[in-house]
Amino acid sequence: MRAANRFFSGGGIVGTMLVAGVAIAALLAPVVAPGDPLALIGRPLIEPFTDWRFPLGTDRLGRDVLAELLHGARATLIVGGAAMLATLIVGIVIGTLAGFIGGTVDEALMRLADAFQSVPTFILALAFVSIAGPSLTSVVIAVSLGAWTAPARVLRAEILSLRRREFVDAYRVLGMAPLHIAFREVLPNALPPVITLAAVIVANAILVEAALSFLGLGNPNSVTWGAMIAEGRAVFRSAPFLSAIPGVAIVVTVLGVNLLGDAANDAINARQAQV
Amino acid sequence: MKSRPSRRSVLAGLLGSGTAASLPGAVWAQAAPRRGGTLIVAADSEPRNLNPAIVASNGVFYVASKVIEPLAEQTYEGNGLAPRLATAWHGSPDGRSVTFTLRPDVTWHDGRPFSSADVAFSALEVWKKLQNLGRVVFKDLEAVDTPDATTAVLRFAKPTPFQLIQNALPALTAVVPKHVYEGSDINANPANTRLIGTGPFRFVEHRPGQFYRLERNPNYWDSGKPYLDAIVYRVLPDPGAVAAAIEANQIQLAAFSSVPLADLARIGRVPGVAVVTKGYEGITYQLTVEINHRRKELADVRVRRAISHAIDRKFVVDTVFLGYAETATGPVPKFDKQFHTADVTTPGFDPRRAEALLDEAGYRRGGDGVRFKLRLLPAPFFEQTRQFGDYLRQALRAVGIDAEIVRNDTPGHLRAVYTDHAFDLTVGSPVYRNDPAISTTILYQGGLPPGVPFSNQYGYNDPQMNALIAKAAETVDAGERSRIYRDFQKLAGEQQPIIHVAEFTFISVTRDRLRNVANNPRWATSNWADAWLAS
Amino acid sequence: MSRAWTVARRRLLHSIPVLAIVVLGMFALLEAASGDAVDAYLAVSGGDAGLVAQLRQEWGLDRSFLARLGAYLAALGRFDLGWSVAFSRPVIAVVFERAPNTLLMMGAAICFSFFAGTLLGVAAGVRPGSVRDRILSALALILYATPSFWLGLMLLVSFAVKLSWFPLGGIENIGMPETGIARVIDIAHHLVLPVLSLGLIYLALYLRLMRSGMVEAWRSDYIRTARAKGLAPNRIAFRHAARNALLPVVTMLGLQAGALLSGSVVVESVFAIPGMGRLAFEAVTQRDVPLLLGVFLVSTIMVIVANFCVDLLYAQLDPRVAVED
Repeated sequence: MRAANRFFSGGGIVGTMLVAGVAIAALLAPVVAPGDPLALIGRPLIEPFTDWRFPLGTDRLGRDVLAELLHGARATLIVGGAAMLATLIVGIVIGTLAGFIGGTVDEALMRLADAFQSVPTFILALAFVSIAGPSLTSVVIAVSLGAWTAPARVLRAEILSLRRREFVDAYRVLGMAPLHIAFREVLPNALPPVITLAAVIVANAILVEAALSFLGLGNPNSVTWGAMIAEGRAVFRSAPFLSAIPGVAIVVTVLGVNLLGDAANDAINARQAQV
Repeated sequence: MKSRPSRRSVLAGLLGSGTAASLPGAVWAQAAPRRGGTLIVAADSEPRNLNPAIVASNGVFYVASKVIEPLAEQTYEGNGLAPRLATAWHGSPDGRSVTFTLRPDVTWHDGRPFSSADVAFSALEVWKKLQNLGRVVFKDLEAVDTPDATTAVLRFAKPTPFQLIQNALPALTAVVPKHVYEGSDINANPANTRLIGTGPFRFVEHRPGQFYRLERNPNYWDSGKPYLDAIVYRVLPDPGAVAAAIEANQIQLAAFSSVPLADLARIGRVPGVAVVTKGYEGITYQLTVEINHRRKELADVRVRRAISHAIDRKFVVDTVFLGYAETATGPVPKFDKQFHTADVTTPGFDPRRAEALLDEAGYRRGGDGVRFKLRLLPAPFFEQTRQFGDYLRQALRAVGIDAEIVRNDTPGHLRAVYTDHAFDLTVGSPVYRNDPAISTTILYQGGLPPGVPFSNQYGYNDPQMNALIAKAAETVDAGERSRIYRDFQKLAGEQQPIIHVAEFTFISVTRDRLRNVANNPRWATSNWADAWLAS
Repeated sequence: MSRAWTVARRRLLHSIPVLAIVVLGMFALLEAASGDAVDAYLAVSGGDAGLVAQLRQEWGLDRSFLARLGAYLAALGRFDLGWSVAFSRPVIAVVFERAPNTLLMMGAAICFSFFAGTLLGVAAGVRPGSVRDRILSALALILYATPSFWLGLMLLVSFAVKLSWFPLGGIENIGMPETGIARVIDIAHHLVLPVLSLGLIYLALYLRLMRSGMVEAWRSDYIRTARAKGLAPNRIAFRHAARNALLPVVTMLGLQAGALLSGSVVVESVFAIPGMGRLAFEAVTQRDVPLLLGVFLVSTIMVIVANFCVDLLYAQLDPRVAVED
């Protein structure tokens, strides 16, 4: 009850509304703006709010900005979600192995984590996408390359502390295989702190994807907000709205995710305090 | 020390300068050139090898052509060539030799005299062996006779068209000093970055990442020139910075469209700034759709013609190039009066005809409206090639072809297309260099080994086309050769192995102070000896 | 000092495998890339089959992966970072030419965000729930959600285009480079907008951290005791609470050192600043293996050094982490 109260405080409500708003926009995109958002259907560089057929105007090649914005919401949420899953899976597996097996495996995996943390992660992402060729898969992998170390470390710390608890010894006495204990019994108890990281991972993924798209390394077959900003940059002196609008969309989405994450954290902390 | 510019040189300057487009009034074009001043221009790249005899590319010429001169330069007047280090040239009737009369009393920047020995060395050791384009044009060069210091006779093992050699003079015949390069590893010689030539400007300094500096050659053979004291090339890779610098009068010239097309309308209205569209006709670029004939659908000429029908070339010129281009009908641009013919059957914009042809070829639309899928690799070289790729995807979708765009960076693109052949369609931007044999027929010639960039890596091998290309390569009579190249264009128009969409050159943005701008078809890559700054 | 020495020694020992992983990883990554440095070069010059083969041989690109890796590692042992094929100069020269620009920009951004952020964080955290706190927290939330390149573009449009207060990009005036104090002012003038683009976002981070640290500390026992004793609130804030709240902030500073180069790439792109971020980008697009490795190695070493300094600083600040003299 207290947890629910904490979640639905001011920040939680705003966050939920914002994220829901973006999700609805993404779902409704093919309804409100049917057809290919990348189609060149209008006169180039129409200003927003001047032509009812193109409420947010058109870009340099004559594409409908509103259609691009709505379809871009899909790409953003898909990348955010996929990157979060990939990051968490990799981080959880490595963290569990390191925490549970320990010894040299742990040392080696932690040095690997150090390496990924010491290297400039965005440049690593950039190099990876540039080399693998820009696509949804390569962008998701690139984002995860930099982000997996955080959940891995948190999980490892949790597991290290849980390992010494009695219930683990009890399972071992019962003859359960170590890996079974690790993944079936210990892991579920270690997860909550990692879940709190989820929102941060999504927010980071959205921002990194936007930056990659801005540099021309986004998925070329779908609309992304970062690519829209890059397109608008060429005419930012005469038509700044082309870059401004997708940027606002990014701010709103990431803000919503952050608020949602904060509220979820509060709720989880409240619940754990109860326990 | 030097006398003021002669009446003759002033008049010669007038003849060239008055034709530039959108220049504010003809009044100032008649003023007498003023000596002095430092011209500051924008450079967008720093080539690793600055020697134009080895790397015949625009980025190199932009800086190096003021220091190292070719045998002749392109002009708008007369037969299109003006003497530089060579004052006269003629070819033998059998096509086995070309005789150059060289300019007397020319000295290198280090004081040594220029002679035919330098031409012989450059031709045999550099143009033929090392130069990217020269390896093609001078492949049959077997010796260079130098009976005296001002005569050089190029002798060829097989009949080589004099027309081709003439057309190659401006871009492929930069002369380098024998006494500097002989006996050394030419590719590694420091003179490749600290140039020594005969040109109106001497190379002074290159500060990497910042600028190149050239200064007047006081002993230049064209006495009275150059008018400028010095030229500074500021390295500015960012287009926004270039536009701002021109407006703020920090630089006086932005060449090679370094001010983006979208900014030109606005910047042309700034007082003191002029937008110059002329001066690049000799370096025309072509927007093409390269096709992989290994793909069954694309091997069918009806499918290729259908793709050409699907493209609205006028729309591309207006929207992607903002009007700063021409529609193209074939491999030879309209500007080249020597070879161009409009009598070709290139498919124009007709989407219905495209759909009919695709149906006829047996590729009907499926339930989802798609006939077949393709991979489209737009080249990353220009913003326009990328944008055209976006347009092409739409245009193909309209006739039922689903093209998926694959983006690579430059080395990835070159490897994918020209070595791995991992593409179905690409958007390319080859350069036309005043003769189809220099860098254009190689796009049509069959049987080339993989790994050669900007050549026919498309799996296209047509015996009739190969025969035309081979014949033209050895036809000595100029009229006959031009006729063969017209046949070449007709065949290309029928078969569409590559689809030519548009021809584009570059735009210069200058400050009014700079005079004698764009007075020859390769102005930005010519020697600027007659350029001057008004006060 | 012995504890500091233990920390140092452990860090150094850990960094060796880290560097090894970085070198091997990047080498393998670039190996997997389609196209090599010759392909990048040919895009500009073109050439026939003979030239292509000749260039590959000259640049050593026709050797096997292991041969090239071996040669690189051997050179590294002599502290030779190799030759950049893209710039035709030694890698060290290229990297150290660009590094100052990035360090200057990032250093200024971190300083600005640290000082402004912590001050604002204290202001917010001293009276949690007040109007001032709500406004500052909302501002922090919004800034934290903003992409730096977009913020940069919007700042450019507003202050450089519409108002013409600042130049449109670059690191200094390109007409004729100034000297002396005029040059310093010119560079500072050019750096205002890029530093703000990054700094405003990092500011949000420090603001939030400092604020929550303040709120925590404010409620803690010894602060309440101090207030009960009648010490003036401001003195309490800045002496006791702030000092404790600084700990997570200092940790953040260390983590930021890692993000230093990453954050700079997009801002250097928007403002056309010749820095190390863009250098890395250029190294990738030209497949210049030694240069990319050079950039990575230099930045990794910088991160390790920065983390080490932060460890020492941390030891100073937190009396529970005693450093024996």
